Amino acid sequence: MGIKVLGVNHRTAPLEVRERFAHGAHEVPAALARVMAAGASGGVLLSTCNRTEFYLVLEDEGPADAVWSLLDERLPERGRASKYGYIVRDRDAVRHLYRVSAGLDSMILGESQIQGQVRDAWEASRAHAGPVLHRLFQTALHVGARVRTETAVGAGTASAASAAVAVAGKIFGELAGRSALVLGAGDMAELAATCLVDEGVQVSLVANRTHERARVIAERLGARALTLEEAWPHFGTIDIALCSTAAPHAIVTWERVAPVIAGRSGRPLCILDLAVPRDVDPAVAQLENVFLYDVDDLQTVAAQATARRRDEVPAAERIVEEETDLFWAWYGGLGVVPVIKEFRGRLEQLRAAELERAMRQLGHLAPEDRARVEQFSHALLNKFLHQPTVALKEAAEQGRGYGLLEAIRRLFGLGPSE
Amino acid sequence: MILTLHILALALYGLATALTLAPFVGLPVAPRVLTIGLPCAGAAIHVVAVSRLTLVGLAPALSMLALCLVLLQLASERLLRGSAVAFFTSPLATGLVGLALLIGLAPGAEPSAGRNAWFILHVALSVLGLALLALAFIAAALYLLQFRELKARRFGQVFQLFPPLERLDRLNRFALVAGFPTLTLGVLLALGYAVRFAGGLHVGKAQIVWGLFTWVVLGWAVWVRLVRHWAGRRAAFASIAGFSAVLLVYLALKLAEPGAERFL
Repeated sequence: MGIKVLGVNHRTAPLEVRERFAHGAHEVPAALARVMAAGASGGVLLSTCNRTEFYLVLEDEGPADAVWSLLDERLPERGRASKYGYIVRDRDAVRHLYRVSAGLDSMILGESQIQGQVRDAWEASRAHAGPVLHRLFQTALHVGARVRTETAVGAGTASAASAAVAVAGKIFGELAGRSALVLGAGDMAELAATCLVDEGVQVSLVANRTHERARVIAERLGARALTLEEAWPHFGTIDIALCSTAAPHAIVTWERVAPVIAGRSGRPLCILDLAVPRDVDPAVAQLENVFLYDVDDLQTVAAQATARRRDEVPAAERIVEEETDLFWAWYGGLGVVPVIKEFRGRLEQLRAAELERAMRQLGHLAPEDRARVEQFSHALLNKFLHQPTVALKEAAEQGRGYGLLEAIRRLFGLGPSE
Repeated sequence: MILTLHILALALYGLATALTLAPFVGLPVAPRVLTIGLPCAGAAIHVVAVSRLTLVGLAPALSMLALCLVLLQLASERLLRGSAVAFFTSPLATGLVGLALLIGLAPGAEPSAGRNAWFILHVALSVLGLALLALAFIAAALYLLQFRELKARRFGQVFQLFPPLERLDRLNRFALVAGFPTLTLGVLLALGYAVRFAGGLHVGKAQIVWGLFTWVVLGWAVWVRLVRHWAGRRAAFASIAGFSAVLLVYLALKLAEPGAERFL
């Protein structure tokens, strides 16, 4: 019995491949059922935009082949999924999940979203996980929480979109209930708007040069669509303006917004200009209580956070290593008791069979001598068993039990692990 | 015993100050358990020390002011996550306890007068009012620093460590609006105490005039906050003006009447 991770992530596969391998929550049970049918005794599927990973408890390579063939089917013209993938085994597999949960394996170092995704994966795979993976995922969430509490690996903000949220947060404190206007209807505008919505910001207006495109994004965000010309008066009421149009020159100018901003009674206005070239005339930043940030500013905030997070990696890795040792000790001990029992049972059978054969040839012995021979066979067996039993228990306590168990099984021809 | 307890509190406050200011000299941010735990422990010892003091004279008043500041700092931290308040309150409280120790915390001075409930209430409310006004001043100063950094798009230590503008504005408003009536009540109790127990008011004209001037400035700061709905930068400047008036008038009166026992 071993633990294995098979999958792809942002380092091994491009986005177009990862997109194909991504499994929605509704697809997880069927995918796992297929892998379980191939012989796995436990399985969890973790699928995010950056990774698709099967965590399996398995005996042989059958389930691994099933995983690759399942992923192969998602590639055009029956491509080979395994060429984008990796396999991590046993203790390294445990360490891998712990690093994933702690955000150490994420594209944005230390990001916290992965913690929820690990939890969701565990929930979605609950019926197939089995006791080992239940314990593994439960502890992975604990490791993620520990790393984020005891180190600053998740501190600050490490992407431009999340930096936008952080900067707005430094002005308004709680963002929940704040109103936002989105200028532009591109992907970047939508991504940043989604980050704001996640923080409780109410994106109430989406303005774009073409009303139709604005309407599409507005519907997704639950907002009202406007043309650009209709947007300027709203600078007097909103809290956050998110600008990301494809205009070749500044469209938010002093002349357009200064008169309405003057009527804000000193309430702060945060303008996040994510467009290149910039949408907002830098002169607008001179207005009282207007805070204007462009892409360079937000990238500066994100870069600072990433640098600080990197300093925390050694401390986070120490926690991961510590917790891996603990899990591996538990896992090693898990199989020791039944194997010791089976091992002793097998040798006891041998002893009894050999004693019976010897007794048949020693029929002339007096009953007390027969008892002495039997006692001798017991004592000899116990002497033989003592050292391996002690070694197995010690190895299990130190987290090395699994390898030794496999060796004993092979050497003494014991049955496969449960 | 009072001295020992004060020295212990001073040591804990000093340590907390060093940890709080460490990020500004390039050292890592100290764990929260220490930046909260040390002032908590210091305040606990300090409470015991203050409870044994007779609240007469400058040194006990300074000690009590330091205690109020630390307690308000902990409350700000707990209620508004305003941890940056400690950048100011922590060294200030340490300095005030140190100053109180230097001036001398002699136990047992004027016990009969000092133990009067009216008098104790006057001192407690006055000192709490001053601590609240100091907190309003600190929140206003933090607001202006953070405002300047955000406006200038600088994302250094101030941006990282100081609380959001809106939170500082709320803290400033609360401290100012609570501090002014508390101090006013403290002063009124002093008047009542003087008339009832000390046979009349024994203060100079200068003290009355400048005291009233301070009260008017503080009242104006509260009025613009509550009635004119000032917020943000303008309100921060008003708070700073109010507390500066308290400090300047106190210093001026001290210089004019050196050796006077009155705290304000």
